[in-house]
Amino acid sequence: MANQSFAKSVMKKTALGIIVGVLVVVGAQLTHFPFVFQFMFFLYAMLGALVFILLDAPAMKRLEGFKAVGFLVVFYLLLSGLYIAGASILPQFDPEDEKGKIDKVLKLRRAQTELGKADELIARAKELDERAQAISKQLSSLGAGAQMEMPEQPSATGVGAATGDVIAQGKEQWELQECYNCHKLYGQGGKKRGPEMDNIGNLMTPEQLKEKIIDPKSWKAEGFDKDFKKGKMPDKYKDLMFPQEIDALVAFLATLKDPSVDTPKPIKMN
Amino acid sequence: MNEKEGGRGPLKTLNRSLWMVLAVCLSGVAAAFGQVPDAPPVDFPYAGNRTGVWVVAQLHILFAAFILGAPIFAVVAEWLGYKNNDPKYDRLAKEVIKVTVILYSMTALTGGLFIFVLLGTYPDFSTWLIKHFFLVFAVIYPLLFILETIVLYAYFYSWDSMKGARKGRHIALGILLNIVGTVTLFVIDGPTSFMNTPAKAAGDLSLVEFIQTASLWDKIANFSWMPLNLHRLVGNVTFGGFIAGLIAAYMYMGSKTDEERSYYDWMGFVGNMIGVGALLLLPFMGYLLAYELCDYDASICPYMMADQLSMFFEMQGAMVGLIFLASNYYIWLSLKRIQGVEQVRISGFVAVVVLLMPAIMGYTWKLFPPPEWQSLIVLGILVVLPVLLGKVPGLRNFTVSAFTMIKIGFLMIVVADAIWMTPHGFVATQGLATEENELPSWASELALMPAKNAAAFTLVFLTVVNYILYNRAIKRGTIMWGKIDFASQFVLIFLAFSAIWTMGLMGAVRSLTRKYYHVYNLVPDFTSEAYTPTLAYSSWVITGVTIVFYAIVSFAILVTLKAGSPKPVASPASPVPAEAK
Repeated sequence: MANQSFAKSVMKKTALGIIVGVLVVVGAQLTHFPFVFQFMFFLYAMLGALVFILLDAPAMKRLEGFKAVGFLVVFYLLLSGLYIAGASILPQFDPEDEKGKIDKVLKLRRAQTELGKADELIARAKELDERAQAISKQLSSLGAGAQMEMPEQPSATGVGAATGDVIAQGKEQWELQECYNCHKLYGQGGKKRGPEMDNIGNLMTPEQLKEKIIDPKSWKAEGFDKDFKKGKMPDKYKDLMFPQEIDALVAFLATLKDPSVDTPKPIKMN
Repeated sequence: MNEKEGGRGPLKTLNRSLWMVLAVCLSGVAAAFGQVPDAPPVDFPYAGNRTGVWVVAQLHILFAAFILGAPIFAVVAEWLGYKNNDPKYDRLAKEVIKVTVILYSMTALTGGLFIFVLLGTYPDFSTWLIKHFFLVFAVIYPLLFILETIVLYAYFYSWDSMKGARKGRHIALGILLNIVGTVTLFVIDGPTSFMNTPAKAAGDLSLVEFIQTASLWDKIANFSWMPLNLHRLVGNVTFGGFIAGLIAAYMYMGSKTDEERSYYDWMGFVGNMIGVGALLLLPFMGYLLAYELCDYDASICPYMMADQLSMFFEMQGAMVGLIFLASNYYIWLSLKRIQGVEQVRISGFVAVVVLLMPAIMGYTWKLFPPPEWQSLIVLGILVVLPVLLGKVPGLRNFTVSAFTMIKIGFLMIVVADAIWMTPHGFVATQGLATEENELPSWASELALMPAKNAAAFTLVFLTVVNYILYNRAIKRGTIMWGKIDFASQFVLIFLAFSAIWTMGLMGAVRSLTRKYYHVYNLVPDFTSEAYTPTLAYSSWVITGVTIVFYAIVSFAILVTLKAGSPKPVASPASPVPAEAK
């Protein structure tokens, strides 16, 4: 009898949960929530139904001996499975994106270490070996009258060699140092911790920009008194960035000259 | 040349020759020795070095959290037993310490393993860190560990001898144990927090130059040291309480007599109450720690909340929500075993406040974000108003039953959980956010801190209200200890498991906020494993560590308490076992 009434209660609450869930989903649709949030809200409605089912559930029978142990093991497996599944269902980012970025951020620092020097030697030795193999291949084909071609001279692959446009490098530094976390640019990024940068090239000279990056307390953006006082802009860049990286970033920032964006006026501090 | 000169000459030559040969030999040996290359760092099999260190470190922290948290719980219980002359509390305290003593060796074992694994897999960094904190690792910490060992064993083995008039001294020994344990925690948190927030550079000095000349105290007393201390201290008490609940659940399940069931039912309730009591403070301790990390370096905040770790916090939101649901469900089951609970009522204004709290506090914290004091006035009014209105004549009769209040509470727990878990975008990193997976702009407030704080406070407030109802019920009714719904034991086990899992998750988050550094912004990690692992992978590691920890603790509990419990003795004349009577 008790089981029947509980079964009825389960059906009633499940139905109620579904009705509430559907209503919430309809409301979410009308108010422009994306599908993923609608689904989430429906799940909460069902969670609520489950909670109310549990509240009125009849008392569980006592378990003893091996039955209790078996139940426990199953319970642990269920919990483990639930937490792993729950974590796996959530959106996962691709670590490969981050690995490439980390390599670029740490490239110059790594080169300065013994490890970096050893890596460079190994890379150089490999390159020389490849050249030697190419030459010996050419030599062996000389007998067939093939014209000897010199293998391409390797490009200067030392770490300090220029790899391209300085401004492009500066834009890369903007991404690598994650300046977008605090500063909006081209309408993207930023959490209003720092000013929008689209017109900074018109307001500060390259020397002033460099001074600000190395010593954030040297300049304050108008209207950002609270953030300036709290020292929101990290003062770590003078330690983390090499001079050529700072110069590249400055070169990039100096090109930002869009007067249609209201970049606040910089104020020199003592 | 005379004979003497002729005699000395060959000897001198021989002497010089011998020295030269010796020098050549020595230099040869030196050259040979110098040519012996350093062994390369160990490659941890299967999972890699980073995961190897992760597993061992996490296990060590779990055991350490227990042996620091359980004595706090035990000493409080022992004192309550002494004050109220109630032997149940004394038995509770002793049983918890018994398990602690067994697990102490596991803490030491995993600690030693941790050091060896670190030195083998990251030798350069480990040596660097040991050198910078040599006094801590080589002198202070070992001395504290030895002292704690002595005090713990003295506390445990003197339990039976220091009774009656000497009980106060025994409690004082327990307090000393907790002081030593807390100091040990604070000391080892120094290098731990230093890895996250090494001291900021001073004046014109770079961070590297500053660290080279900084004193040991400068390195220990960094930005996140005290917030980490507070968070771990409160977390340890929560952990100790839930493990006491786990012990009670196992022993309840294995109880053969009503007396045993009654005792372990009570123990489960006390353990859960201590665990939940400390749990109420934990979100705010965690908030303080996150605030200090973000204050140290603003780029940590988006990394945690908006980018790679955002879904880790989504999972944390789910875990916290489940833990609050479970702990309140345990109160519900506890209430059901109280005779006369149907008569317990509470002011209806409490229900109204509970229903409106997320909206009111969310708006208040938007206008006056912490630490602005004005929000506290609104909070104070919301908390006090139902009590005052409930005393007004004419409004006194506006009451609801305890069960109705709890059901309203559960509804609001689900709502608060929903708010707590709503992200700005269902994406792993904000760079990938589009209209398809982001909150609409009119609802963006749901993802901000005022809404999250309001949700957290609602959960805390509801739990307190439920405990107030429980206290009213036990004052007016009769508790039937040992008659609680058997499902409650699974709730206790669920709470302990989930708390441990959440600790693992948050420990991973704290370590990952160092990004690709061993010491943030100071000592880069150049290995290929210096990237943020996915949440899915992390959940496997955390679950594996939790299961291993659970298996060891379960074994310790059963071996210590179940094997040690006195069996009923059958009288020799009677063929029937005594308990069958």
